[in-house]
Amino acid sequence: MGLHAGQLVPVFVASVLLWLMLALAAIVGRAGYDKRRRSRPTTPPRRGSRAERRLLRQAARAGRSEAGRWRQIRALRALARMNHPACRTLLPEALADGDVEVAGAAVRSLGNVGASWAVEELVSALRRGVYYRSRVAAQLERLAPAPGPLLVPLLDDDDPGVRFWAATLLAPYPTLATPALVARTADVDANVRAAAVETLAGRSGRRPLAAAIRLLEDPKWFVRVHAARAVGRLGAPADVARVVPLLGDERWWVRSAAKDALRTLGLGAVDVLRQTLDADDAFARNGAAEVLQDVGYVDSLIASRRDRALLEQIFAAGGERLRRLALMRAADAAGVGEREVA
Amino acid sequence: MSAERALLAVVVVSVAYLAVVNTAYIVLVVVGAFENRLRRHESAAEDYDTIAASRFTIPVSVIAPAFNEEAAIVDSVRSLLAFDYPEFEVIVVNDGSSDRTVGVLADAYALEPYEVFTCSLFPSAEVHGVFRSAVEPRLLVVDKENGGKADGLNAGLNVARSRYVCCVDADTIFEPDALLKAMRLVVEDPARVIGVASFLTVSDDAMRTASEPIGSRRIGWRPLIAFQQLDFMRAFFNNRLAWSRLDFMLCAPGAFQVWRKDVLEEVGGYEPGFSCEDIELTYRVHERMRREKRDYKIICLPDNIATTEGPDTVRKLVSQRERWQRVIVETVVHHRRLLFNPRYGAVGLVGAPFYLLSEVLAPFFEVLALVTIPVAALLGLLEWGVFALVVGTLGFLNASLTAAAILASDVQSRAYRLRDLAWLALLAPLDLVAYRPVMAWARLKGTWRFLRGDKGWHKFERNQRAAHS
Repeated sequence: MGLHAGQLVPVFVASVLLWLMLALAAIVGRAGYDKRRRSRPTTPPRRGSRAERRLLRQAARAGRSEAGRWRQIRALRALARMNHPACRTLLPEALADGDVEVAGAAVRSLGNVGASWAVEELVSALRRGVYYRSRVAAQLERLAPAPGPLLVPLLDDDDPGVRFWAATLLAPYPTLATPALVARTADVDANVRAAAVETLAGRSGRRPLAAAIRLLEDPKWFVRVHAARAVGRLGAPADVARVVPLLGDERWWVRSAAKDALRTLGLGAVDVLRQTLDADDAFARNGAAEVLQDVGYVDSLIASRRDRALLEQIFAAGGERLRRLALMRAADAAGVGEREVA
Repeated sequence: MSAERALLAVVVVSVAYLAVVNTAYIVLVVVGAFENRLRRHESAAEDYDTIAASRFTIPVSVIAPAFNEEAAIVDSVRSLLAFDYPEFEVIVVNDGSSDRTVGVLADAYALEPYEVFTCSLFPSAEVHGVFRSAVEPRLLVVDKENGGKADGLNAGLNVARSRYVCCVDADTIFEPDALLKAMRLVVEDPARVIGVASFLTVSDDAMRTASEPIGSRRIGWRPLIAFQQLDFMRAFFNNRLAWSRLDFMLCAPGAFQVWRKDVLEEVGGYEPGFSCEDIELTYRVHERMRREKRDYKIICLPDNIATTEGPDTVRKLVSQRERWQRVIVETVVHHRRLLFNPRYGAVGLVGAPFYLLSEVLAPFFEVLALVTIPVAALLGLLEWGVFALVVGTLGFLNASLTAAAILASDVQSRAYRLRDLAWLALLAPLDLVAYRPVMAWARLKGTWRFLRGDKGWHKFERNQRAAHS
């Protein structure tokens, strides 16, 4: 082959050394980590200490190298945990940084600080969209109730993304901005309408309910989903009955939300659903049967052995499997065989 | 003389193949190290407490298909329900088990059968019923005819109510923060991040390993399990992290994969016609997204999110790996239009050809090398010294790649004891002679069975927990 052992020795030695170097890096690196972890101080650096000065230096330096960037992020987080006064200037600067990671660290740190100026910065960040709005919103949500009044004006922002988050974030404030939220249920943006009606589901009164009922016929399916759930939470049985037509909606998610709404009525749903058992639409029929099963009405009819005709009507609407499983449950409950229950 | 020349030519070709593949692996190790570093920094700066408590964290349906998992299912479901995540449901799909998989779940979680009208977008075998738990509202159990894992996953997808689904193996034990870590990047950018996978470790007793605290976990002294652990580390830290960085993450492992449900709807869900479902689905999603020029990401994270049970005998290991090889070949052949096709970008030009080279063709070249190099030495065509140095160099080169994976894994998780890391590092040079021949055999067998058209799934017998029961 023309190849001699002597020619291969350097390659072999290099491969052994490479393995040795990497293996030692893993083992020695881990030993060092364990040692550092044991000796690492658990308290934050004292004010005026060298460690504090280093943190301030790192946090202020816009890290343009990869390592510098992560040092800056670590320093910002550490200073925020200390609630250091320098955060008041450092975090807004970091928020304005073009680097998404640094802006993200600033958002998380502002959430840790939680002071009123930090809340204002977060609301401003939400409006300007300097970082993923869902992550800014998560920080604002954990700081409730402070952000509430600052969110109300955002309901009228030009950007539908801002209006959406304002409507969503107002959920934990049941007394705030109800008329403005009702107005947003007529927003041109479907996401805003959905968010507004979802938030209104946690309010009380006729206006939120009326708005939710109106949105049951919204052209966008996901708005109908939120409207159905809102009516389920807000309405009396007579109002919830308006959800029944959605059992036959063209979108599965809407049918599912309608069932959720009707389940909230418990056995109160029975009267509403009886008429739907012989509806022309198969989805509506089996949806009605499923809800009657879920609220325990089918099981109670089997256990009481009354109204056999209605039970058969439910089985006809729900199908053979609904019947079989109902009999299985009844048999288990009674400790007898399925055939005996049937 | 011509036979000798032919033999030498084969030796040269197989050594050249190994050199090319190992060079590619070295490049991937470097890229993977960058990706690992980035994800580690991101994770350290993350505010997991807020994500875990926020109602804006996207709900997830966790789907666990189970076939004859009586021994493991309750532990698995317990680990799934222990996820530290704001809103999720666990859907166990009993795929026509012949044991008491549903029975033990019914005993543990007071299950009752209900009719649930679902949106049957995904084809699956007949569903007998859906069980709800009287004590755990987040748990649903779907009982269906046997149809295979892909079919079971499709049945679970039909019941799933969340925008994202996390498909898992019912025999795997998960870390409580697994879902939180996997969903971290999804929460930021759900429009682009359509799939997530993460690192799994292997153990002969997943329950024991998962119960050990981070920093004190044991690999165990049994070389077979340790070699599998090294194999997993190499696969994730040397390959998948780099693939993820280079935008061709071609294999989200079946033990844990997060998908956006609407994407699965678009591609028609899991395909039961393959020996295994995970790689094929990942290929199909890439194919669709690239063909339609959509902006998307399928990400592999370095976080250690679960422990899966590895085979504890060579026979079981060969059975498992030959099935993996079979599905790799099935997938690469089925999606051959991706190969070298610029329309599919990095997937077509780099990812799929690399898969072909390093996975489909590997067993041929590995076996050729294993056979021809010693034969050449025996016939005196190769000096014994040269033979020893070639084998030694390949062994230590392979060991270096393995040591890089051990280093990357430890820097990321700090999960194992120092002495276990040392044990792994010492085993690394033996991998080529002790473990790779077994793998080469399993892969050759898998390829042969693919050529024969065998699509059976020979599930390996469980280790520890089967013995406990």
